[in-house]
Amino acid sequence: MIFRQPPFAMATYIVRRLLWMIVLLLVISFLTFLIFSKLPSADPVSLRAGRNATPELRASIRHTFGLDKPFFEQYRIYLAKLVPFDTHKGFKPPDFGYSYQNNVNVKAQILDRLPATAGLALGGVVVWLLIGIPVGIISAIRRGKLSDRIAMGGALVAISAPVYWLGLVMQYLFSSDIGKVHIFKGSGSYPNTGSLFTDPFHVAPTLFLPWLVLATAFAAIYARFLRGNLLEVMAEDYIRTARAKGLRERTVIFRHGVRSAITPIVTILGLDLGILLGGAILTESVFNIPGIGRLAFDSIQKSDLPTVQGTVIMGAFFIIALNLIVDIVYAFLDPRVRY
Amino acid sequence: MMRTPKRVAMLAALLALALFVAACGSDNNDEGGSVKSSAGQKIPQGKQGGEVTVLSAGDVDYMDPGQMYYTFGYMIGYSVNRALYSFKPDNAEKPVPDIAASDPEISADKKTITVKLKSGIKFSPPVNRAVTSKDIKYAMERVFSANVPNPYATGYFGTIQGAPKTPAKGIPSIPGIQTPDDQTLVLKLTEAKAATIAAALVMPLTMPVPEEYAKTFDAKNPSTYDTHVVFTGPYMVKNDASGNLTGWKRAKSIELIRNPSWDKSTDYRPAYLDKIHVDEGNADATVASRRILNGSALMQGDGAPPAPVLKQAATRFKNQLVLVPAGGTRYVAMNTKLKPFDNLNVRKAVFAIFDRNAMRLTRGGPIVGDIAWRYVPPGIPGFDEAGGLNPPSDLDFAQNPAGDPAVAKKYMLAAKDDGVPVTADGKYAGKEKLLMIATNADPGKKSAQVAANQFEKLGFKLNFREVTQDALYTKFCGVPKANVNICPNVGFFKDFVDPESFINPTFNGENILPANNTNWPQLDVDSLNKAIDAAAILAPGDERNKAFAKIDNDITALAPAVPWLWDKTPLIESKDVQGVADNYSTVWHLSFTSLK
Repeated sequence: MIFRQPPFAMATYIVRRLLWMIVLLLVISFLTFLIFSKLPSADPVSLRAGRNATPELRASIRHTFGLDKPFFEQYRIYLAKLVPFDTHKGFKPPDFGYSYQNNVNVKAQILDRLPATAGLALGGVVVWLLIGIPVGIISAIRRGKLSDRIAMGGALVAISAPVYWLGLVMQYLFSSDIGKVHIFKGSGSYPNTGSLFTDPFHVAPTLFLPWLVLATAFAAIYARFLRGNLLEVMAEDYIRTARAKGLRERTVIFRHGVRSAITPIVTILGLDLGILLGGAILTESVFNIPGIGRLAFDSIQKSDLPTVQGTVIMGAFFIIALNLIVDIVYAFLDPRVRY
Repeated sequence: MMRTPKRVAMLAALLALALFVAACGSDNNDEGGSVKSSAGQKIPQGKQGGEVTVLSAGDVDYMDPGQMYYTFGYMIGYSVNRALYSFKPDNAEKPVPDIAASDPEISADKKTITVKLKSGIKFSPPVNRAVTSKDIKYAMERVFSANVPNPYATGYFGTIQGAPKTPAKGIPSIPGIQTPDDQTLVLKLTEAKAATIAAALVMPLTMPVPEEYAKTFDAKNPSTYDTHVVFTGPYMVKNDASGNLTGWKRAKSIELIRNPSWDKSTDYRPAYLDKIHVDEGNADATVASRRILNGSALMQGDGAPPAPVLKQAATRFKNQLVLVPAGGTRYVAMNTKLKPFDNLNVRKAVFAIFDRNAMRLTRGGPIVGDIAWRYVPPGIPGFDEAGGLNPPSDLDFAQNPAGDPAVAKKYMLAAKDDGVPVTADGKYAGKEKLLMIATNADPGKKSAQVAANQFEKLGFKLNFREVTQDALYTKFCGVPKANVNICPNVGFFKDFVDPESFINPTFNGENILPANNTNWPQLDVDSLNKAIDAAAILAPGDERNKAFAKIDNDITALAPAVPWLWDKTPLIESKDVQGVADNYSTVWHLSFTSLK
């Protein structure tokens, strides 16, 4: 019996997911607000007021920040600015508020830093796919051989190596300023203006080493994942049938084996990319790339709630949106999927 | 199988080769001589022109001189703006007139200060006019506004007649700040505190601000003047025609260019460099330090090189390292309001047992400063009068920087006579755990761990918690209600060069605040409080210095804390940079720096 999707099923599915996205973002915004209001890493008023500040000065700053209002009133005001709809003005751009530390518009800060994070994440994705997929395939094909053992052993090391440590080691070995062998541009070479999308020839060389560092663990994970999937798929009956039909081994592996084995990779790729677009804190820190991850880290340290809130919501948005895209793509790829 | 061992051997050989390549190739250029100190430095003649890059981890807090607070902000701020008085690199004790034309005149009753201003000092574009006394008046008035929060306003300048006691709505007009003519500023005070205020005229809040330009920004709460500052120094932050600071990209970079309105003949600064680029976000201090030491035209911004890099710099890169007396004291504060540190003998015992050498090692050893034994550091008037580097013999608990168990035991047994639970061998016998709040970042974290060991030597049990440095001050140690017994990572560094700025906020019981408190031991001794208040109104000079020296020694005798380091801030530069240290703010003085 052939299952047919009802009409407009895909459209309904997308609308349903978008509505859930809004609900999820609201929940995340509330939880973040709650955590950082009730359990701040430091008192933003004290940080802003400085040493020996009088109680009156502190009260004044607290009032300026709106922190003298009850918690739910603060959240209501925040939400009213965030939601891109106003009962009087209609649609409006979302407003993430102003940083406590330096009175800069949070949305502007995030958008300013997004290209750096996006360039790092997307480039990293390309590198880890270029490394991870071939390694996974070769490992599966040459299962048990020396190349498989080296590949999987290396993958284990790569997964175990902390990103920050790896970044430092790579710089000390290969960066053009402090490295032993001057191959890649090192920390601090990422320009403060321009991005990979506006000035690729200038910016890309500064990202080679960060891409390698970021991609290392992911490539290893994907290689191991693909190897496991491919081994499983290659044991299926239809693969035996394909061989029996006289197809070349290469065709059996790539057209039948890899094609099935790689589908779950799409799912995790979307999730990983979404997470990275929220900021690869460690890579950005060690290579001094002014991205969203660094912004989030600095703002957490300083209890800069509006900026923390903004980066968390932005990160959540990317994860949820990319998950949705992946699920839609998956539905097209795999006709068995029902939505 | 024979093949496997061969393959394993091959792999091992490859690995060894890789490690060898990584380890070799280091330059072994151990430079002779000793590390330079900036104390008493001569200002070298520099070469005109060129550009340097300053590597910093963070951004300046503010460009607005009315809100500037952190040291790194001062590094940039004093390059682009001029205060009434400032410090030349070769003398961090006596400020020189900067926008002022001469030393401040203090009236006989110590309630009036008159400052004459130089003429010919102009604001940068887009304001482009001469600075007058009204600009200083406005600069000082605006910091009393809620729109321009500044903790120093009421703290140091609150005794100006008419100064608001609470942050004002809008910019208040303060009758005690008078401008009889364009080149004269008069400050009328309610108390005889002219000496302190005169010393505080080096602070950024005396940098002029043009009212007609700034008032639009200051009308907002908080003020947005920060991104539209105009400058009076030899350099300025690149801006556009409307004054928007285009050269400042938050937490990314700052571009300093020459200020076209600056007149060299009115300034003692040579300003050799044509441009200064500040590269921010260099979070890893080791990487940044190595880039500076091995690179070209680079200088350190905020932060210090980590101890391992510092050791390397002190041996292999001596000519690229300068040590600057930081004008500060680090100490381990004990809460004198809570048992058992409400007992003087217990505190003396702790001081006696403390291995201050070990504490100093956590920051890099002798190179990072001198072992402290009291609170006013070297370079501040009163330091020599109080005894200099070595404690007087009557302070037996302060004699041995490695710790003296015998003296500690003596005081613990004395505490036992006071009713403190102490065993026969001089160990604390109380069951409770004392709350110790430490920073979670090195080197402070290491220092705190060593400090914890010292307390444990005397039998104290600790509830040791690590928090961020900001949380340490804003939620715990700076908040008396938090009831923290021990704060091992506190310290006080100068706001300006006067002993009162070290003693009054930190040990005067009248200055224990409910939050942002800096009297961390919560010391509150009536006779001491009165002595501090009496000394504060003395005129600058020998009498004032001796009075504060005595107070410093009296505080030390009460052992509210264990001072352990008079810092020297290490500054590093690339080999082609001729940096000059600023002994006031303990950073590089960009206006005196040049390329070799």
